Amino acid sequence: MGKEHILVGLEVGTSKICVVIGEARDDQLRILAVGETPSSGMRKGEIVDFDNAKECVREALAIAEDRGDVQVENVILGVSGSHIESFNYRGSVEIPQDRDEIDERDIEDVEANAREVSLPPPNTVIHTITQHYFVDGQDGVLSPVGMVGHRLEAEFHLIHGVATRIQNTIRCVKELNIEVEDVVLNGLASALVVLDNHQKKLGALVIDIGGGASDYIVYNDGVVKQSGVLAVGGDHITNDISMGLRIPTQRAGRLKEEEGSALLGNALPGDLIPLRDEPGFAGRDVDRETLNTIIHMRMRETLELLRRRLAQQAFLDYTGAGVFLTGGCSLLPGIASLTEEVFGMPVTLTHAQNVSGMTSAFQNPRYSTAIGLVKYGQAIAEDYSGGGWLDWIKGVLPGKRRRAG
Amino acid sequence: MARLDQRGSSRETEARGLTLPGRNAGQVMIGIDANTLGRADRMDPVEFRVVGIGGAGSNVLDRAVLDGCEQERLIAVNTDVQSLSASVAPAKLQIGRDVTRGLGTGGDPALGEEAALGSEPELAALLGGVPLVFLVAGLGGGTGSGALPVVARIARESGALVIAFATLPFAFEGQRRGNQAAAALERLEADCDAVVCFENDRMGEIVSARAGVHEAFAATDRTISQAIRVVGEVVRRPGLIRIGIDELLSALRNRGGRCLFGFGEGSGDNRLHDALAEALRSPLLDRGRLLDEASNLLVHVAGGRSLTLAEVEVVLGALARQVSDHTQVLLGLGVDPALGDRAQVALLSSRPSKATLHAPVPLAAPASAAVAPATSKPRRPTAPAPAAPTPSPVAPADIESEPVPPVAELEPGDATPSAAGELIPELATPAPDPVATARPRRPSPIRAVDPAVPADPAGSASASGQRPAAIRQEEMQFEPVSRGRFEKSEPTLEGGQDLDVPTFLRKNIRVR
Repeated sequence: MGKEHILVGLEVGTSKICVVIGEARDDQLRILAVGETPSSGMRKGEIVDFDNAKECVREALAIAEDRGDVQVENVILGVSGSHIESFNYRGSVEIPQDRDEIDERDIEDVEANAREVSLPPPNTVIHTITQHYFVDGQDGVLSPVGMVGHRLEAEFHLIHGVATRIQNTIRCVKELNIEVEDVVLNGLASALVVLDNHQKKLGALVIDIGGGASDYIVYNDGVVKQSGVLAVGGDHITNDISMGLRIPTQRAGRLKEEEGSALLGNALPGDLIPLRDEPGFAGRDVDRETLNTIIHMRMRETLELLRRRLAQQAFLDYTGAGVFLTGGCSLLPGIASLTEEVFGMPVTLTHAQNVSGMTSAFQNPRYSTAIGLVKYGQAIAEDYSGGGWLDWIKGVLPGKRRRAG
Repeated sequence: MARLDQRGSSRETEARGLTLPGRNAGQVMIGIDANTLGRADRMDPVEFRVVGIGGAGSNVLDRAVLDGCEQERLIAVNTDVQSLSASVAPAKLQIGRDVTRGLGTGGDPALGEEAALGSEPELAALLGGVPLVFLVAGLGGGTGSGALPVVARIARESGALVIAFATLPFAFEGQRRGNQAAAALERLEADCDAVVCFENDRMGEIVSARAGVHEAFAATDRTISQAIRVVGEVVRRPGLIRIGIDELLSALRNRGGRCLFGFGEGSGDNRLHDALAEALRSPLLDRGRLLDEASNLLVHVAGGRSLTLAEVEVVLGALARQVSDHTQVLLGLGVDPALGDRAQVALLSSRPSKATLHAPVPLAAPASAAVAPATSKPRRPTAPAPAAPTPSPVAPADIESEPVPPVAELEPGDATPSAAGELIPELATPAPDPVATARPRRPSPIRAVDPAVPADPAGSASASGQRPAAIRQEEMQFEPVSRGRFEKSEPTLEGGQDLDVPTFLRKNIRVR
């Protein structure tokens, strides 16, 4: 190995569009450049104004290309949105009579079998993540190739979403003459860089609270057990503030970032935040506790909703490493203790780990997803070249054939 | 009761000659005629019965109750006492007391048939004098397959129009049940005016793969109960353009064919579009693709009084793209203030099965004969015909309000299947019109009901039908809450709450 390749992650997010150019060498990942533009034409992780969104993507790519001195030809694209769902599923194949040793073909067959699970008609599989195999009922087999058996079963975590909505994001990039190499769920990408293998083994919950949506993903025993998207994010806080305090949305957004906190009871009575007048806004004072109450209510509710969703399955009880918060909203002061209160387990505010290069980029939780996309590309590429340590990730959209065995 | 008898006897003599012109030609105007004439009978509470036969049948009845069908119209018929006693239907009939001794039939249609034959007098008594009978059963088992054809025949012999809703078993239930179902279906088609057939295998697609078995069956029941409701409403709910039973039958007339059914409801700016999209999404229509093959398609559009002609036109244009040029589209249009600002679209058709292309001929005759009882009564000369044209000066000028008389007539509502049933009488009471009379209702007093609505003190609403919506009880109407910048985006719903509305507003926390 030892050869380098350039990988580009593109996150078309609700608050920002972010391009990260990374250089992969062996299992090292170095961030070369980050291009970022504020989004427009996006709501809750999905495109609502196609042309606007396309322009923003073009701009972000141009910035990144310029900074990294790289010509971007293909990207790994992150998707999100409330339509994305997941479940665990077991697929099985019988090994043909004429041989009793399990080989690569059977692995492919069992995966194909999983893909054929019937989804609601408009949906398509985004990822099939193999959790573990069963050989003739023997549980917990990690790599069955070469084993002797008659029946191979595999447990998958299957993530699916509405095909047309995903295609919209893809088309937005394709119209700029850029190839989409892979489509990855934002939450999965974030988890890739935020967690290390040990934490995945222990069990961890990653919540990536972005502008328009919160992605969550649960690892147990080193594999994905639960994932999903709740279409509530920082935009909702901004909207709440704007409506509650009757100030323009943009001003509300700035107020949230500059002064907001998710904790109650820290402000003295009569603690006012002066808002200076500016074009289109007359300026006034707002009560700090009111501001915090609005934020607190929203964040508490969102986290409680997440916990309720996650509690539908038992995996949350086995997350020894606790909760990992990332995404732009994790910068909100007080969010960690609020999360701790809601989930009742240790909470870590985190960002991309195990990458080098621009510190400002990987130490910012806002970029976790985009960096994770690059990491995903690296993992797939390694897998491709045969030395895969991540051969459980083999997610591709139907129609795009997998490039590896 | 006297009138009922009379209707029964004069059924053959009246009928077709009278009914047909009303249906076919220039639909709008004549449709109104039909309404006003038919008004007299439609308030008759004894108008239809839904009979659930066997276990599957009574499940559908339970679901129908949940969906707001009035219980008194439901009859459960079963061999199995245990299942019968669990049913919510007020009228229950155990058949084959001597044959199965209160147990099920064990999947043997011969036993089911014997049971039904043994209880023929009771069945005849239950169904006597009812002009319209819906039968519901799951085919493939004993009671459903065996008893359903018998009940159909009894109902038919007592002079009713009989429409059967049958489910075919899942393929995985085995060949034998499949064969039993097919045999029963064949017999049923001879004895019913129309058979609406649901294939469970297709119904499975309604629910996601993750859904539990229970949920899957519930979805099936729900679809059937919806279909019953729609068919009942189509026949009974009068409207601008009325769909007659003959049209209904011609839409369903395809022996051994598969039922194509879709139902959707929408509200808001795009309601008819949403409703149509939802209806087309029905797996029984294969997302609208199967409509292409239908030779007759029945479309029933219903909405509150704010339904505009333009909306209907646009939505039918959208529908026209889905059907082929040679499909005959039978349009029914109903206005019901109880719907408020919502609108419903129902699509009903059938598609010939490959095997049976000879079908329509034998069925046509019984069908048209059977049309008589139900359709003849609307045209009975006793109805206060003179009243029909008069209301127009009173009515607001726009077209949508034209059909109001029939609608108001629905409201007094001993029981329309439209879910708003229970509350509407309150709305009607201020009117001088004595609700309970059995006398033919004159349009003029009914008109009086209508003005009463907008005249209501609250009367905020530019007659946009908001008032009736406010009275519906099953839907809690909150103050419209602003969603800010998410106003136009798809709502994020979780646990019945719209998460786009600020949390502090939903939790009623006061902020300064």
